[in-house]
Amino acid sequence: MRDISTSVPKTDHWEKTAGTAKYVADLAPEGALHALTFRSPIPHGEIRSLVLPDLPEGYASVDARDIPGKNGVHIIQDDMPVFAERTLRYVGEPILLLVGPDKTVLKRLLSAIRLETVPLEPVFDDRRADVWHHYVKGDPDQAFARAKRIIEYEYQTGLQEQAYLEPQGMIAIPEGDKMTLIGSIQCPYYVKNAVVPVLGCTSDKVRVIQPPVGGAFGGKEEFPSLIACQAAVAARKTKRPVRLIYERPEDIEVTTKRHPARIRLRAAIGEGNVVEAIASDIRLDGGAYLGLSNVVLSRSMIATTGAYTVPNVSCSGEVYVTNTVPTGAFRGFGAPQIFFAVEMFFQHLAKDLGEDPLAFKLRHLAKQGDLTATSGTFRDPILVPKMVKRALEMSDYQNKTRRYSGESPYRGLGLSLFFHGCGFTGSGEATIIKAEVQLRKNADDTVDVLIAAVDMGQGAKTTLAKIVAHTLDLPLDRVRFPYPDTDVVPDSGPTVASRTVMIVGGLLEKAAQKLKARWVSGVAVQLTERYQPPEWIKWDEKAFRGDAYPAYSWGVDVVEVSVDPRTYQVKIEGTWSVYDVGKGIDERILEGQADGGMTQGLAYGYMENMEIKQGVLRQRNLTDYIIPTACDCGPYAVEWVENPFVYGPMGAKGAGELTLIGAAPAVAAAIENAIGRRIRKIPATPESLLELIEYGKR
Amino acid sequence: MVEHRIPENLNEALKLLYHGDYQVMAGGTDLMVQRRSLSDTPLDFPKNMVYCAHLQELRGIRKEAHRVEIGAMTPLEDLLCHPDVPSLVRRAIGEMASPAIRHVATLGGNIANASPAGDTLPVLYLLDAWAELRSLAGSRMILIRDLITGPRALKIHPEEMLTKIGIPEMHFSHETFVKVGGRQADAISKVSLAAAADIVEGKVSDLRIAFGAVAPTVVRDETLEGAWEGATLSELKVGVWRLLDMYVPLIRPIDDQRSGKHYRHQVALNLLRDFIESLSEPTSEPGR
Repeated sequence: MRDISTSVPKTDHWEKTAGTAKYVADLAPEGALHALTFRSPIPHGEIRSLVLPDLPEGYASVDARDIPGKNGVHIIQDDMPVFAERTLRYVGEPILLLVGPDKTVLKRLLSAIRLETVPLEPVFDDRRADVWHHYVKGDPDQAFARAKRIIEYEYQTGLQEQAYLEPQGMIAIPEGDKMTLIGSIQCPYYVKNAVVPVLGCTSDKVRVIQPPVGGAFGGKEEFPSLIACQAAVAARKTKRPVRLIYERPEDIEVTTKRHPARIRLRAAIGEGNVVEAIASDIRLDGGAYLGLSNVVLSRSMIATTGAYTVPNVSCSGEVYVTNTVPTGAFRGFGAPQIFFAVEMFFQHLAKDLGEDPLAFKLRHLAKQGDLTATSGTFRDPILVPKMVKRALEMSDYQNKTRRYSGESPYRGLGLSLFFHGCGFTGSGEATIIKAEVQLRKNADDTVDVLIAAVDMGQGAKTTLAKIVAHTLDLPLDRVRFPYPDTDVVPDSGPTVASRTVMIVGGLLEKAAQKLKARWVSGVAVQLTERYQPPEWIKWDEKAFRGDAYPAYSWGVDVVEVSVDPRTYQVKIEGTWSVYDVGKGIDERILEGQADGGMTQGLAYGYMENMEIKQGVLRQRNLTDYIIPTACDCGPYAVEWVENPFVYGPMGAKGAGELTLIGAAPAVAAAIENAIGRRIRKIPATPESLLELIEYGKR
Repeated sequence: MVEHRIPENLNEALKLLYHGDYQVMAGGTDLMVQRRSLSDTPLDFPKNMVYCAHLQELRGIRKEAHRVEIGAMTPLEDLLCHPDVPSLVRRAIGEMASPAIRHVATLGGNIANASPAGDTLPVLYLLDAWAELRSLAGSRMILIRDLITGPRALKIHPEEMLTKIGIPEMHFSHETFVKVGGRQADAISKVSLAAAADIVEGKVSDLRIAFGAVAPTVVRDETLEGAWEGATLSELKVGVWRLLDMYVPLIRPIDDQRSGKHYRHQVALNLLRDFIESLSEPTSEPGR
């Protein structure tokens, strides 16, 4: 049998390259109305009066009063309303929809709405904490009391926009008392479970269909639930299909982004320059509504000692609420922030202690059997030392580092060590998701994969079908993975958290093994497989204690940069990465994840800059919000080590987020070494480098 | 309702301009973005439009004695590889936008858009390039630096069209164009510098300096440049700080969503300093 890692053409390759794939914006059901959104112009205030222009025949406005059920979007916290009623909490908050047949008329009507507001004092800083957690490992107080030296720094990370190719879009189609939603989404059942309480109907009355999705990166995890609820309410009111399709500027202005973070880290240094304890304070900006910020915070907090073992930990975290656009899911989900902080912190500790950063990091690296920051156990082998060795060889790290070590050589290398916990944080898989998959064997001996996992470009359609075909020993074209439709497929959980291959794929592998045992040619059969957590997983949600994840993927990044001494522009000269994702399900798809994650992660570290001034985004389109083009990518070298995880399909763990996480700290460290100034804030833009060169710490 | 006209020739286009209130569209790579509207709906043009990019009379590159003439509607990509187009112009175009945009965008459009960050402008100012403005009544020539009066503001009559750009032939021993954008390609300039010098027998015989994106229009000051004429190369190099000081009051950038005042100011000076420091006695003088 062929090694599963051997690449095959993606099963949706043809429809996407030929342009025949129909995305949500390509769909126009008979009689569909367009919808445009009227939004808050102020960051905080109350509506005093709102006067609509006379609406022509066939046009309608839709607001909170039209909601048959509850005016709240079910995410994790349900604090975000479908439509604002009286209080406005951020610039761009939706107040109402105008729907009608002609977009030009809608646009004119929209500009004729007269809104009077009573402004309230907006909050843009971290004074309004809304979620707070704290946990302890060992005895941090004693460790700090005994410390030889205490070192403390603060780190900051900025907003990041997902910048998926396809903007958000949703179509709601009413048929009798049934509501069908077709949208660019990651999580069909999230959308369904959000729309049901808003329409106040039973679960069987809402159906969600996923067409091809043009990228998501977390941006289509929870946000689509909001526009699905709005479109559904509008379709219910008008009894017509309603298309709520965003274009780029609107998408950038009002959809969720990566949480900005302020992270304070304090280390107790003991004999032999050993980090005996870390005390951390992690603050994430949740924007106007919490949504799933709580879970993002958890992931940050759990990784507060990064890839290192520190015997004593005191970690507190909070999400603060501001009058700005809500932040939410984004590839990495809290990990990129904390890994930037911890990786830079370890580099800075080493420099302060007069040690070589790499040796210092390796001395503290977690080993199999060590306790995690939350006192769980790293059960599986950790191959990072071997991976580091390989990354150093590939990049010629030692020689180059020596060569660039002169005063401000404007060229430097940076290295990062990192992991990503695969699957939902804590006991989420067992208590919240409870994933279920089905395989249907047809009489013609083909097999249908019935799951709610979404291919958003990451290749899930191919990899999951491949796992089933491989297990059943069938050619790939005998296994079909149709686009998910909640009336047909069970809830296999959201397409998030690097869980798709490991958890959903793992369930499919089990189901396929059972199907193989019962295989009778020419006979149709359907079977279901449900998630059972490994019995060793123990997680105490309240105490933040135990095994936060069933498995960890690991990575090592080396990044080389040059900095232009005249313009402070950074050029990526090369990157070298070694990853452990258990077992690769498809090499080419993994390479895609590696190159994309590296590009997005590097840009997070030095290029992508988004600022909010008095609640208003300053970069509102892709002219001003700069993301990398091919010209900005250096040569990327990638290698994989095999480290099969017993519960993953064929040994696979998560891969989608891992590849982003180490890039920002590696590029920041490289820039730091190139300019001879400490970097504690990303993005390290040329503007900020100029400031560092003028005033920064060496 | 605005009117959209596609004339068959230049004369027809000029007639439209003479009799009505029209906005000329060249490649449209700026206008289409500025007047962007919702998908599947007409663009948001406030006035009648006349589309001219296809007019053959306005396309092409012609070498004349001591100058090259470029039709206003010539796509940038055509200029990029043309041997008669001055190397500085080609260098600026090579840094502009993306290949797809360069195939549509025109030299005339880049001038008429009069953006403070227009990338061909510093080079055209530096080369004393002129524009031909034509109307039914005839034509006149104007230096591009006199044509542009501010951001998106031109000294052009409503019945006139920018039809041709003339670039005098010049010789420099050293020249540079540096564009500083948010990424390596396809970005709007935060700051740019076009600079050229002719060093003859150890002396400055010509020095030209033009900055983009640091003031409402391109910054070029011939008096400052002239002050160095006849200076020796080493006098110029030793005097680089004095030279930079002279430009300090002229570089008046803004803070915006793409960059900051301080950065633009400092980088503009760094680029000029780097250019001056890179000057050397030409080893040979081919073609003189």
